[in-house]
Amino acid sequence: MKCIIFGYGYMGKIRYQVLRQHPQVESVKVWDPYLDRSKTNLGKDLLPADAPIPWSTIDAAFICTPNNVTSDLCVQALKNCRRVFCEKPPGRNFEEFCRIEEAAHAVPDHLLMFGFNHRLHPSVQAARTLIGEGGLGKVLYMKGTYGKSGGARYRESWRNQKEISGGGILLDQGIHMLDIFQTFLGPLTFVDAVLTDSFWRCGVEDNAFVLLRSRDDVPAFLHSSATLWKHTFRFEIGCEKGYLVASGFLSQSGSYGREMLVIGKRQFEDEALALGNPREEIIHFDRDDSWEKEVSEFLAAAVETRTPAHGTLAEARHVMELIQNVYQRRGQRKATKVTS
Amino acid sequence: MRSIQTTIAYPLSSVKPLEGLLGYRTFCFEALQRARAKGKNQRTQSPINGAPLVPIGSVGGFHYGRCPKTGGLFLMDLPSPESWPGLLAETTRYRHAPKGFHAAVSGSRTENVYAPKLDWIQTTLRLQEIRQPNILEVTTPPSDFSSLLNQSGFFRSVTTVNEMDLCRQTGPAAADPFHAAVLLESLDRVDDPGALLAAVRNRLEPDGLLFLTALVSSGFDLCVLGLNNLYLCPPDRANCFSLQGLETFLKEAGFKLIEVSTPGVLDLEIVQAHMRHDPEIRLSDFEHRLLSSDEETRRAFQSFLQERGLSSFARIVGRKI
Repeated sequence: MKCIIFGYGYMGKIRYQVLRQHPQVESVKVWDPYLDRSKTNLGKDLLPADAPIPWSTIDAAFICTPNNVTSDLCVQALKNCRRVFCEKPPGRNFEEFCRIEEAAHAVPDHLLMFGFNHRLHPSVQAARTLIGEGGLGKVLYMKGTYGKSGGARYRESWRNQKEISGGGILLDQGIHMLDIFQTFLGPLTFVDAVLTDSFWRCGVEDNAFVLLRSRDDVPAFLHSSATLWKHTFRFEIGCEKGYLVASGFLSQSGSYGREMLVIGKRQFEDEALALGNPREEIIHFDRDDSWEKEVSEFLAAAVETRTPAHGTLAEARHVMELIQNVYQRRGQRKATKVTS
Repeated sequence: MRSIQTTIAYPLSSVKPLEGLLGYRTFCFEALQRARAKGKNQRTQSPINGAPLVPIGSVGGFHYGRCPKTGGLFLMDLPSPESWPGLLAETTRYRHAPKGFHAAVSGSRTENVYAPKLDWIQTTLRLQEIRQPNILEVTTPPSDFSSLLNQSGFFRSVTTVNEMDLCRQTGPAAADPFHAAVLLESLDRVDDPGALLAAVRNRLEPDGLLFLTALVSSGFDLCVLGLNNLYLCPPDRANCFSLQGLETFLKEAGFKLIEVSTPGVLDLEIVQAHMRHDPEIRLSDFEHRLLSSDEETRRAFQSFLQERGLSSFARIVGRKI
């Protein structure tokens, strides 16, 4: 399969590495007009900035660009090569997502998959196997905290310029946690949210507190933050027979700490002496194969001409609808404040 | 690869009381002496790599040697291979007899030792998405774990096989290959761990899992106490691999390791118990300071041992390749 990657930033580089090593991939071209040619070792894989996109020779496109060009590129790639892998978020807002969706519906035999690799992280995957009949019983609630410290150049980043990104930390990072929630609970309903921009003051939220519930009335709560100072990924699941806490994250920087899953088993006083302090086991993980899994699933779906098992259009729609609801609630609150 | 920590804490007296062990050790030494009287077998090479064992002293009059490359401790004074199965059967029966120390703590051992092991096996099988497995339990009967495996309802079938029969290839032929095999300290007590591992591997289906626990010489209490460690008692600990040695041994036997952990919780308490038993045991100033530190410090140190693979109790999961 001949692939093209649009954008060679953090994500583009990861996808390039994974694709280069994949046995089904014949060639990988990179298109990024903003790349300094002299500072890469892409060689002939980097297309000239002024050259037309060689659509006729491309089997699949990977969109790894800033959010403001995502939807245009997705639409173009769907029309020209039908097979598109698009990094999250799928557009700057729900309207842009709908444009992508419309373009996809216009190409009956298309393949469109969105990059939500966090659900494939080993701690999250392990948690999935342990809930329900996996031993811990029905899920009672979920909580997720995902955040970072920002950093000295946080304000200058394209991610915090609304025209480019479309939103703040919720859209950029919290979207992964929303996707994880929905992986476990199915489509969620928006209940309430509070957003702030009290520290970075970029014009987009630097903290989002979002309350949701599943069709079975399981509550889920997200805190997505750019003021956590300590990089944090923490995903908790409360179950009838115990609890799970996935935390830390295998990442290139390693700044989120060692990835692990705490498995706690409920114990009442008639079962053991340890009331309120049950036995816990901690599984440490030392390899993140989420990128490989995601790309492999996309390529397998392409070969088998089927819908991908995850990162589907429907899943992306659910998550973008939630984010739209959160941002609309912020608008309503602002309007109420002005009126009062 | 995964590693595992556990926060469960329980007293030594509830699972393997040192006082209760003393009578058992005496019985073991006498039984070993009787077995050796029928025929002797001198082991001179490390079962891991064939390196000549370096004699390091004796336990109850029986010599141990150290594998120079991995640091594992191996009993050199073995009885003849023919008498080993009988010796294991005899000591196992004694351990479970009313006068043996296991009988007195069977309830707390079930809760603190066997239930977590069952949980570990079940969780790992779930994580590996193996449902309704056929499991092979490799042990010298009687086994406290067999009933727990059977009662769990988790397995399609539980087959318990005498480890020495398996080692000698004299056990019943398996109808179907097993999805998993569990060896709770079996490698520690057979005279030919390589033969046992090969036999187990043969009975596993492709990608089948091996669950293994072992006392390891690289862990804290064994490093600190050395041959003074009363839990280093032949024939149960005829082999005391180091963690690194065990990893090498399993890999060379055709297993890919998917979990290597030392989730032991008793290292410090074992050393403390030995010091109470024999105040003449020499420790460094640092070790004394550590043992007399407050509970929080000791707990943190034990967690550190677990996390860094430095406890003397090892748990490994391997996949047949």
